[in-house]
Amino acid sequence: MERRTFVKSAGLLAGASVLNPSGIFAEAKPAGIVRIGVIGCGDRGKGIIQVLNQLPDKFKVVAICDVLEFRITETRQQNKDAKFAVYADHRGLLDNKDVDAVVISVPLNMHYTIAVDVLNAGKHLYLEKTMTYNIPQALQLVKLVKSKPKQVVQVGHQYRYSPLYYRVKEMINKGYLGDITQIDCRWDRNGNWRRPVPSPELERQINWRMYKQYSGGLMAELLSHQVDFINWAFETHPQQMFATGGIDTYKDGRETYDNVQVMFRYEGLHSMVGNFGATCANAHDGYLFKIKGTLGTISLLTDEGKFYPEKRLLADKGLVDGVTGATRIVWNKEGGSPILPEKTKDGTWYAFNEFYKSVVNGTLPDSNVFTGARTAICVHSANAALYGKMPMAWKPEYNVV
Amino acid sequence: MHPGDLKRFEINGYAQGTTYKVTYYAADSLVTQSQTDSLLAAIDSSVSLYRPASLILKFNHSEKGISVDHHFAVLVKKALEINRETGGLVDITVKPLVDAWGFGANKTTAFPDSAKVKAILKHVGGNKIRLKGEFLYKSDPQVQIDLNGIAQGYTADLLAGLLDKNGIQNYVAEIGGELRIKGHKPDGEPFRIGIEAIDDNDIHPSPLQMVIAPGNAAVTTSGNYRKHLQANGRQISHIIDPKTGYPSQTDVISVTVVAKDGITADGFDNGFVTMGMRQTLDFIAKRGNLAAYIIYKKPNGSIADTATSNFKAIEVK
Repeated sequence: MERRTFVKSAGLLAGASVLNPSGIFAEAKPAGIVRIGVIGCGDRGKGIIQVLNQLPDKFKVVAICDVLEFRITETRQQNKDAKFAVYADHRGLLDNKDVDAVVISVPLNMHYTIAVDVLNAGKHLYLEKTMTYNIPQALQLVKLVKSKPKQVVQVGHQYRYSPLYYRVKEMINKGYLGDITQIDCRWDRNGNWRRPVPSPELERQINWRMYKQYSGGLMAELLSHQVDFINWAFETHPQQMFATGGIDTYKDGRETYDNVQVMFRYEGLHSMVGNFGATCANAHDGYLFKIKGTLGTISLLTDEGKFYPEKRLLADKGLVDGVTGATRIVWNKEGGSPILPEKTKDGTWYAFNEFYKSVVNGTLPDSNVFTGARTAICVHSANAALYGKMPMAWKPEYNVV
Repeated sequence: MHPGDLKRFEINGYAQGTTYKVTYYAADSLVTQSQTDSLLAAIDSSVSLYRPASLILKFNHSEKGISVDHHFAVLVKKALEINRETGGLVDITVKPLVDAWGFGANKTTAFPDSAKVKAILKHVGGNKIRLKGEFLYKSDPQVQIDLNGIAQGYTADLLAGLLDKNGIQNYVAEIGGELRIKGHKPDGEPFRIGIEAIDDNDIHPSPLQMVIAPGNAAVTTSGNYRKHLQANGRQISHIIDPKTGYPSQTDVISVTVVAKDGITADGFDNGFVTMGMRQTLDFIAKRGNLAAYIIYKKPNGSIADTATSNFKAIEVK
């Protein structure tokens, strides 16, 4: 399904691109620029607008929408020169003929309804992760997107768009890590994971991540990125899902757990155990992502990665008294070597560059409705295991993704 | 002393943006890490382009030049010699070009056009600098130098010098893949040096390409592919040809050079990448006192290797 398996160096991409002559865009407008409407102007929506502003030859944000007035005010303040059409109701934004593509960055429980409206309005869609609030919605959305082959739908698992993560996928596929059996992921913080609330009645709207009615908690908001990467890189999904956790530190009325640990069992070319954990009560590990094979370990941050070959591989080099090399691989103090020579940019920058290409060329994005649904199923199965205190299994009806 | 009395000592450290490792055999620990670290700090503060207050940055920012220290003078003198010997293919004044192509301390997003390259070339050349006593002059303020291509080999020499001074007879001193070797192991076996293999990728640990026993010598390697940038899907070399102003485009993938000291071996190796395989073999045959092993790309794209006959003589089969 994946259209590409190879890293493209995005750092020096020439901006040149030609609009698809089939006429995705019928109206007269600035050549080659995709006009964006952003639905949901919270931290993520505003952050995406900042990234889009860095790509003026590709995107122009023409419309914004949020149900909270102060969010609109904040967004305007951050973009003083922009002339946005402003909406409180997303349906108004979707009626705007100047909008070619829509970014949805609203609480998780609203992803599906708004995504359906966007697709029925004939617009391209960049849908924040996790793709949908539950599994039935994920399967429904797959069906709907299949019926709209001319519209591009990209799901916001942005980290894997970085050249680093493409390189890691390539390293896995080329067998550099050997037989991979263990994945360790964490996304920890030492803090309550709350946003400031200007007035108490807005608590649930602003801190929606705390409440099950709106959010899948740490699993959906954080660990879904790593779950998604594993699914994509290995072209796999877990067969069994185990989980435990609780509200262990912040007994502040929240419903979603502040401490979670999930264990996935994958079977296939690489039969693996995936460990995904997040806590709000310790920040030492922060973001941790390790992939462990018989030949070596990859350790990743969002913007840099190291490769640690297993000691026995270095053993043949131990038979000599010194090594000279054109590679001049620099092993760090822990015996690792950088995967890419430099840190990458934020994943969102790469993700939107690719979204542009998909829209202009009419191609399937790498983070698409199928991979998005697969990840959503994993997230919601994990949450079912977590809150239902029972193991879950991948079901045959999920195989459409 | 009975050979059995010798113990193996190892110092591992981090300097010049890379790792270093000193292995020696002696009755007692005659050299310690604090000594090697302070030696390496001294050379860094002289010629590191990444050290904000280094002498080399002071020179590069100066109008007419500056007084330099001993290390700096030794490196410049040797670099100018090699510049003459290679007909200008090795040139420390190449720095403005290295920067323009994005291989300097600051990265660029666009490559220079031909007009820009031409303009920069006016400030590049061995005749643009002159060492008189301890003063290094530059012919115009835009002249800048980069000693990265030669300093590591010299650093290996300095480590060797420290070991010599402390009466150590048997050692391998390595920094960033550049080595100085002296003596042998306690059982009389020579020190063996592995040459890293070339793979289509540069991170996969693969078996050593070759093992050599060079005796008392220096070994350095210059590679044309670990550090590269990509432009329109094409990789460009980090080794800039100081005559054309453009990244080297020869058949050479890597050159391993053996010489009596590191400053010589390291001083030549980048130039051999620019020279190309055939010309390098001819150059060494004529010059003598150097041995080389070259991995290169054939016109059909396949990878092959070759060596000078004196290099073949030190190969461990």
